[in-house]
Amino acid sequence: MEHLDPDRLVLFALSEEAEDAAESGHLARCATCRDELDTLRTVTGLGAETHDLRDLPPPPEQIWQRIEADIAEPVRQQKPSPVRRSRPRWLVPVLAAAAAAIVAVAGTVAVDRFAGRAPAETVTARATLAPLATVPAAAGGTVRVLSDGEMRIGVRNLPLTTGFHEVWLIDPDDLTKMVALGNLPDQGDSVLPVPPGIDMNQYRLVDISDEPHDGDATHSGRSLLRGILTE
Amino acid sequence: MDRDDQLAERLRSGDEKALRLAYDRHGAAVLYLAQRLLGNRADAEDVTQLTFVAAWAGRDSFDPQRGTILGWLLGIARRKAIDRMRSAARDDRLVETVRSQVAPAEEAERPERVVDRLVVADELGRLPEEQRRTLELAFFDDLTHPQIAAVTGLPLGTVKSHIRRGLANLRRRWEVDGGTFGSRSAGPLRAL
Ligand SMILES: [Zn+2]
Repeated sequence: MEHLDPDRLVLFALSEEAEDAAESGHLARCATCRDELDTLRTVTGLGAETHDLRDLPPPPEQIWQRIEADIAEPVRQQKPSPVRRSRPRWLVPVLAAAAAAIVAVAGTVAVDRFAGRAPAETVTARATLAPLATVPAAAGGTVRVLSDGEMRIGVRNLPLTTGFHEVWLIDPDDLTKMVALGNLPDQGDSVLPVPPGIDMNQYRLVDISDEPHDGDATHSGRSLLRGILTE
Repeated sequence: MDRDDQLAERLRSGDEKALRLAYDRHGAAVLYLAQRLLGNRADAEDVTQLTFVAAWAGRDSFDPQRGTILGWLLGIARRKAIDRMRSAARDDRLVETVRSQVAPAEEAERPERVVDRLVVADELGRLPEEQRRTLELAFFDDLTHPQIAAVTGLPLGTVKSHIRRGLANLRRRWEVDGGTFGSRSAGPLRAL
């Protein structure tokens, strides 16, 4: 028995042409051609349904930030404390610069102090801070980098600390490269200066850590919130 | 398919940038599937997050022989979404609001069909330009072969072979990655 021409089956599947008597007779007798036509109908039906899928919006950045924070965690935990002290050599001047900048503004400055200022600021980058897996899900925050080199940080529901919360900029491609920006009050907004000369395209992972008062200027390894700066 | 192979290779070697690429490429499809299955955005976002984190943790178990990265991700997402529905159903029993929650679930589409559609959409996007264009004119604009020939300026015989080959490509992909057949590629990841 000769089967139906594949091109004819395609036309039937697309409902472009109907079977003639001989063809429907064959389809009634031949399971192979019937199955073939069924499959083609399913595929063309699915194809027609893909119309709405062509313009799906790009996946949200904030979900990626949560993914990134989750997968970054094991790296964080791998860092035992002795390693913390062997800070990469290149990092020293940057940290020194950051420390100087922090001293210059005497730690955290409450945002209220800026409330009276003209709102002529431009946001050059922003990030949504999401809690790491060990941190209560209600914790979070937002970061805005302003064109004048300041970073505005708002956090909420951070876990209590016996030490302090510190803000870091980290290279997401190499989690050992980081710069400390300053520390935060437990709630509310604060403003920190971004040390000049920092490449924000490289150091675009914002990290809020829980730091003990141990006099050690390096990252404690206990990150609470993270987010990626985007334009 | 080359791009997918390279991505798979990089992912398996532990390159985090490859996960980002996979997210850029397939995150929208994963989120769409989760949203269709769960019917709410917050749960869909959680499932999308869980899917990519699980994919990262289980990257060694991805087998390019068994399907594409998209098919693999959709398989994980489907299981995560079903877990979420089950735990929601458990919670509902606790607060005795099962009845009010059942209605939307009944209207939800079969997961297999949503996966099938996403996989076919992805394959359509990968077809050679002329094949894709002729199929789109047939699917979306409901044009006949001669009309497509007129619109595109292609000879009728070329339109015919583009459509036949294009459909064959969609079908092959659907058979490899689709939800109906996809239980094959879901096997080794059940633990995720
Ligand atoms: Zn036959």
